[in-house]
Amino acid sequence: MSMAQVCCDSAVTAAPVAGPEAEARARARAERRRRAAEAGRWKHAAAAGTAAADATRKRSLEAGELLVARKHGAASVAGRRREMEDAVSVRESFAAEGDADGGGRRDFYGVFDGHGCSHVAEACRDRMHDLLAEELAAADGSGSAATWTAAMERSFARMDAEAMSAGGSAACRCDPHKCDHVGSTAVVAVVEERRVVVANCGDSRALLCRGGGAPPLPLSSDHKPDRPDELERIEAAGGRVIFWEGARVLGVLAMSRAIGDGYLKPYVSSVPEVTVTDRADADECLILASDGLWDVVSNEAACEVARACLRRGRARWCAEAAALLTKLALARRSSDNVSVVVVDLRRRDH
Amino acid sequence: MPCLQASSPGSMPYQHHGRGVGCAAEAGAAVGASAGTGTRCGAHDGEVPAEAARHHEHAAPGPGRCCSAVVQRVAAPAEAVWSVVRRFDQPQAYKRFVRSCALLAGDGGVGTLREVRVVSGLPAASSRERLEVLDDESHVLSFRVVGGEHRLQNYLSVTTVHPSPAAPDAATVVVESYVVDVPPGNTPEDTRVFVDTIVKCNLQSLATTAEKLALAAV
Repeated sequence: MSMAQVCCDSAVTAAPVAGPEAEARARARAERRRRAAEAGRWKHAAAAGTAAADATRKRSLEAGELLVARKHGAASVAGRRREMEDAVSVRESFAAEGDADGGGRRDFYGVFDGHGCSHVAEACRDRMHDLLAEELAAADGSGSAATWTAAMERSFARMDAEAMSAGGSAACRCDPHKCDHVGSTAVVAVVEERRVVVANCGDSRALLCRGGGAPPLPLSSDHKPDRPDELERIEAAGGRVIFWEGARVLGVLAMSRAIGDGYLKPYVSSVPEVTVTDRADADECLILASDGLWDVVSNEAACEVARACLRRGRARWCAEAAALLTKLALARRSSDNVSVVVVDLRRRDH
Repeated sequence: MPCLQASSPGSMPYQHHGRGVGCAAEAGAAVGASAGTGTRCGAHDGEVPAEAARHHEHAAPGPGRCCSAVVQRVAAPAEAVWSVVRRFDQPQAYKRFVRSCALLAGDGGVGTLREVRVVSGLPAASSRERLEVLDDESHVLSFRVVGGEHRLQNYLSVTTVHPSPAAPDAATVVVESYVVDVPPGNTPEDTRVFVDTIVKCNLQSLATTAEKLALAAV
């Protein structure tokens, strides 16, 4: 009691003093409050343990969430739209090493940007990795680009069929026969020891950041209806691309490929474009994001942000980069949901 | 008749469900120039069933306007179909693309004003619509778009529900026709492609909804 009393007296005595030390303490308190307020914008998902794990670790994000792990990070916000229709999927060691050549761990990352409702994007988040794991287990063991392309195409086709036969989720309660207008983009990446495999359907995007002054390397190409080969495919199928607040299939949908959207088949296709890219020592990170980011941030700017976070040398720099990119998109008045995944591709010995 | 002739070459291969046929502004202009206002539009003759045709008649659209009609067959009795169509306060019962609907005035009868909020992904955010006709005897509903965030100005729609001549007790023919301004920068054909896609999607959903309703009633 006497000890406490002494402390209180000291505090009272110190308060009126306006010396430089007090000023420094006040500034420190203000800074801590600012950081706390900043931190409050993100709900931190449980950080992953650093120990390697054989079991699949499910991580998914919802509106306004940040996923923090050593090898990757993801951030997702509704932004200026009231509904959140993006979904993100991160599945470490999601499939057994199937081939002698590319053996070792395989991690799955996906960004799904829904439209019309959220349940197709949510179904992709929940199921795409399982479908792909099944297709890989059934595939021949060669691990060739053709094998990967076939596995991805079958997974996307099965995901599309599931999305179109199922109804809404418990949350949205859409009737199955009234869901024909709901769909989602899907950009998926599988990171192996030696390669990165990307499959894309729609206008989300995957980008590889390489060091040594190399320009960013897109691993996907956006499926916009006025992309010349997409326009040609749509018109050959008997469809039309009409400029109605941007190029749209039949004037309605602003992307030429998607999971779902049964009413626009066959013009809006669910066949993914697949790339298989060898990893290099200079690789820094992989960025997957929805068009809420890419509409307002260039590939070069996104890599610069990621590289700046990398150079700060913090252990969880990927989550930091993902959060920063999301904030940048909001600051630039993106009018859409924003979802970003950043994956550390540096070799272990770095 | 000149309108019908003009629209025939313009048939569009993407229409593989239902049918929509309209007339071009050029033909409308020609007719307007020669006969003046009030000329009847004949673009839908031969497409709209005879028993419904009189409800879908309108003046030939002038320059900068276009029209179309979409026909949907439903394997359900007319009463079941009409019970869904007539709910102006509940478009989400059968229309897709509706996220929510709020009544701004009225209680479902003529003069009711509704604000429809549209789902994401479409080039529209909302539509404000007034109920012009609700005829429970003739099974005719008409509404006018009077505002909202979209590019369709002066849109007027008529929907009719009639028993199918081939199977009057078990099948129904629904026709939705509309007249609308062609937005700046687009062609009449663009406009018909866009609107017909939405209308067809809605009428297909109506067919499914009404068929389920009729099945449940058995």
